[in-house]
Amino acid sequence: MIGVLRSEIFKLRTTRATKVVIAAAIFLPAIIFVLTSVFSYKNGKVDGSLVASLGNFAPLTALLLGVVGVLCSTQEYSQGTIRITLVATPHRLTVFWAKITTVFLVALASSAALVVVCLVPSKLILDYRDISYDLIGPDIRVLFGVVILFTLMAELGLALGLAFKSSPGAISAFLIWPSILEGLIFGLLSLAFDTNVMKYAPVQGNGFRLVFVYFSEDDHTWLTSLMYFSVFVGLFVALGAVLFSRRDA
Amino acid sequence: MINVEGLTKSYGSKKAVDNLSFTVTAGRVTGFLGPNGSGKSTTMRCMLGLDRVDAGSVTFDGKKYVDFALPLTKVGSLLDAGDAHKGRSARNHLRWIAMTNGLSASRVDEVLRMVGMSEVAKTKVGKFSLGMRQRLGLAAALLGDPEVVILDEPANGLDPEGIRWTRDVMRHLADEGRSVLVSSHQLVELSMVADDLVVIGQGKLISSGPIASFMDQHAKTWVRVVSPQIDALSSLASQAGATAERTATGADFFSISAQQLGDIAGANNIVLHELSPQTGSLEQAFLDATDASVEYRGQDTSSPWGAPPS
Repeated sequence: MIGVLRSEIFKLRTTRATKVVIAAAIFLPAIIFVLTSVFSYKNGKVDGSLVASLGNFAPLTALLLGVVGVLCSTQEYSQGTIRITLVATPHRLTVFWAKITTVFLVALASSAALVVVCLVPSKLILDYRDISYDLIGPDIRVLFGVVILFTLMAELGLALGLAFKSSPGAISAFLIWPSILEGLIFGLLSLAFDTNVMKYAPVQGNGFRLVFVYFSEDDHTWLTSLMYFSVFVGLFVALGAVLFSRRDA
Repeated sequence: MINVEGLTKSYGSKKAVDNLSFTVTAGRVTGFLGPNGSGKSTTMRCMLGLDRVDAGSVTFDGKKYVDFALPLTKVGSLLDAGDAHKGRSARNHLRWIAMTNGLSASRVDEVLRMVGMSEVAKTKVGKFSLGMRQRLGLAAALLGDPEVVILDEPANGLDPEGIRWTRDVMRHLADEGRSVLVSSHQLVELSMVADDLVVIGQGKLISSGPIASFMDQHAKTWVRVVSPQIDALSSLASQAGATAERTATGADFFSISAQQLGDIAGANNIVLHELSPQTGSLEQAFLDATDASVEYRGQDTSSPWGAPPS
């Protein structure tokens, strides 16, 4: 298992597409975060903590890490290396768990990197501008939310990649569902039933809420959102595992 | 040794491999032949656990492929030279494969040397010619120093020197006591290296055994005669049941042995300048053996080159 895991990490490290997307996932929000520190907060203080502000940018990184998850599986099919992977490791669930772990480690490392590249320069800039702020404050939950959101979205991307086997299909499904379809479907249902159905939307209504500070009484609680979103991702991961282990390569 | 027993694989209603059984012996090169779509690649994928079989089994020295903890050290395979990420270097391509089976980076460098690719080890696969990719694929197959080697069209895209090199590699591997199974459409090349043949058509076994017995069974034989009295000899031979086809300098006689023709000529004072038994090529024998099982055959016989191949 260790050898297969090392191999999966090595594969991810030695392809340009995954490195570019990971870099974009970390540095795009970081640039916006730092620019905000440079040009905003004219009233001399930051509302909420800096960590809580991370939540505003986390969905962008989460979506990009999902794309990394997709690429982790679909590149194997598009380049034909899946055959070599499965010949080298015929126990498919071992390969599957190695991919799951690799994506988990990428999400974990990206979370840490995002926190560092966002907070360290911002702290220095805000100190220089003499703007008052709380680094963490009472919103430590957002920090956990960032890690969990990144991990679950990356695993969702991986699972979709294993199900679709093609990058365009899986990436389209992964990006269109949370950004367009969920809003349309659950928004229309909310109108139809005149109630807050949006809170049942897996990604927008629960996943992205893991990095929110404020919840209305009508929303799921943070913990309920976590469980709801985890089950949603878990179902896709299970589907990915079944398809991966049963289909001809 | 590879033992394929009753292997059956269907895609929907189409049977790609139908109750196929054969063995590949250690120390010998076994050629795997069949027309396009006959099930060769499917058989190889089933052997390596890439496709799920409907029935039957494949064992390597009595063990199933999935039962090997480090399969690359037992079975090395090259299925498609294109199976490599174009953005990775040759060395990195082999390194990730090596990691899965606990093989060292020094072994990667060793196989790169073996296939003559040390100097391009850091070059990206996308910049390689098909021949170079074939060599890289062969390096990947040899990475675990396996006892069994399975190669699907290893000479595809190679220049004559590369083809000869591949042939020498296969011979060398077999001489070291390894089992080598190789599918190829280059029948002349295969006839120069294979000890045994497995021939299939429409997923079914047509022939399996030493190449000599395949030739005995399927190759045409005739007697070539050069003589100034060829008409007289033809007439006498036809009385013995032979048929003759005139050539520029004599005739080819069928359904009669060289000894019989020599006896007829001697008894009738017919001068012979040449009397030689002839055997058809492996290519002709293969085409004859698989004629009934060619699945997709061209229909346009009005073409000046004849009907297109299957």
